[in-house]
Amino acid sequence: MTPPQSATAQPFEDELTALLPRLRRFAHGLSRSPADADDLTQMTIERALRARAQWQPGTRLDSWLYTIMRNQWIDTVRSRGRRDKVEAPPEEAETLGHDPRPGIEAAFDLQRVMAAMEQLPDEQREIVALILIEGFGYREAAELLGLPIGTVSSRLVRGRTALLRLLGE
Amino acid sequence: MTMAIDDTKFFAWLDGELDGAEATEVAAAVAADPRLARMAEQHRGFGTRLRETFDTVAAAPVPERLRDAVKPAGAEIIDFGSRRARRIWAPLPQWAAIAAALVVGILAGPTLIGDRGSSAVELRGGAMVAAAKLDGALDHQLASAGEVGGVRIGVTFRDPAGAVCRSFTDQRSSGLACRDGEDWRLKGLFAAPAGQAGDYRMAAGADPNLAALIDATIAGDAFDAAQEKAARDRGWR
Repeated sequence: MTPPQSATAQPFEDELTALLPRLRRFAHGLSRSPADADDLTQMTIERALRARAQWQPGTRLDSWLYTIMRNQWIDTVRSRGRRDKVEAPPEEAETLGHDPRPGIEAAFDLQRVMAAMEQLPDEQREIVALILIEGFGYREAAELLGLPIGTVSSRLVRGRTALLRLLGE
Repeated sequence: MTMAIDDTKFFAWLDGELDGAEATEVAAAVAADPRLARMAEQHRGFGTRLRETFDTVAAAPVPERLRDAVKPAGAEIIDFGSRRARRIWAPLPQWAAIAAALVVGILAGPTLIGDRGSSAVELRGGAMVAAAKLDGALDHQLASAGEVGGVRIGVTFRDPAGAVCRSFTDQRSSGLACRDGEDWRLKGLFAAPAGQAGDYRMAAGADPNLAALIDATIAGDAFDAAQEKAARDRGWR
């Protein structure tokens, strides 16, 4: 049984819960490992709950949450990633394929793609994730990132070309 | 890559971002050039595989700890802080905020405000923004620098819209400013209790009103020293 909640609190939490699969997918596009991706998702949820009064009902909750996640990634995960990039890879290799959740057959491919994404410069990776994986249009991505649309499209070209090469396609 | 159309246009077409004459132009170029046709096919297939790979994440069950993180119990604690803070500050209209700042100005005397014609705060487009030495300190000074020119920086963090905010204090006043374009827009300014000049990292610790305002504004955690420096190096974007 869940405790009674105020009528205004419910829709926000319901919508946030409904968006969790997409948020996790975006987090996997940005992060170097599934564990980091879920940490990023959790930090995003916490940030969103703390800031919920600032979200305007009637506006797109998904874009608001993607913005929070992207900023959280910049502030925390990305700076941490830089600091321990050198010692991280061996540990990562050991955890490959140990995910007990359903969908493990696909997990190896995912790890491989995440490893390739990790090699892209951050400013290309976030655009590849938003447009090629999350399906945002160029203009939506530009607005979300606060960038000119020309910058978005040129970074997307570089990012997707490099990624295709890295994955040996 | 040699082609009659540039590659940003080619990929914009591939992504369905072009229409009308532009789309027709690229489609014709692709139809006429086997290399372009192969590239289109290769990138289309690649995009599909990329999406399918990450779709396995969206299709997988959400881990319990993430579903639990959305529970309202945690939100209620946080909400309390926001409501408390809103009572103190948010219902005040713009003129009241300005009036409050002027009161601080009188209390604070020749410190941040009204310092020999080089006021640290000025009105621009109906908003209070940092100027002169306060603007300079918010732009350049790190919290680790301690007091420089009478200004001390407290905490740096992002608001929910992603804007970087910084708290600051001098001997007799403290406040919070958030980045707005090239300006630091003041969210609040408070007279500091007399006689406080201790060495503290959290400027918010000095004034419960400022602490409440920070609580209501912050999204996530305050920056650590490395994040603060990185944010400065990015021009507070």
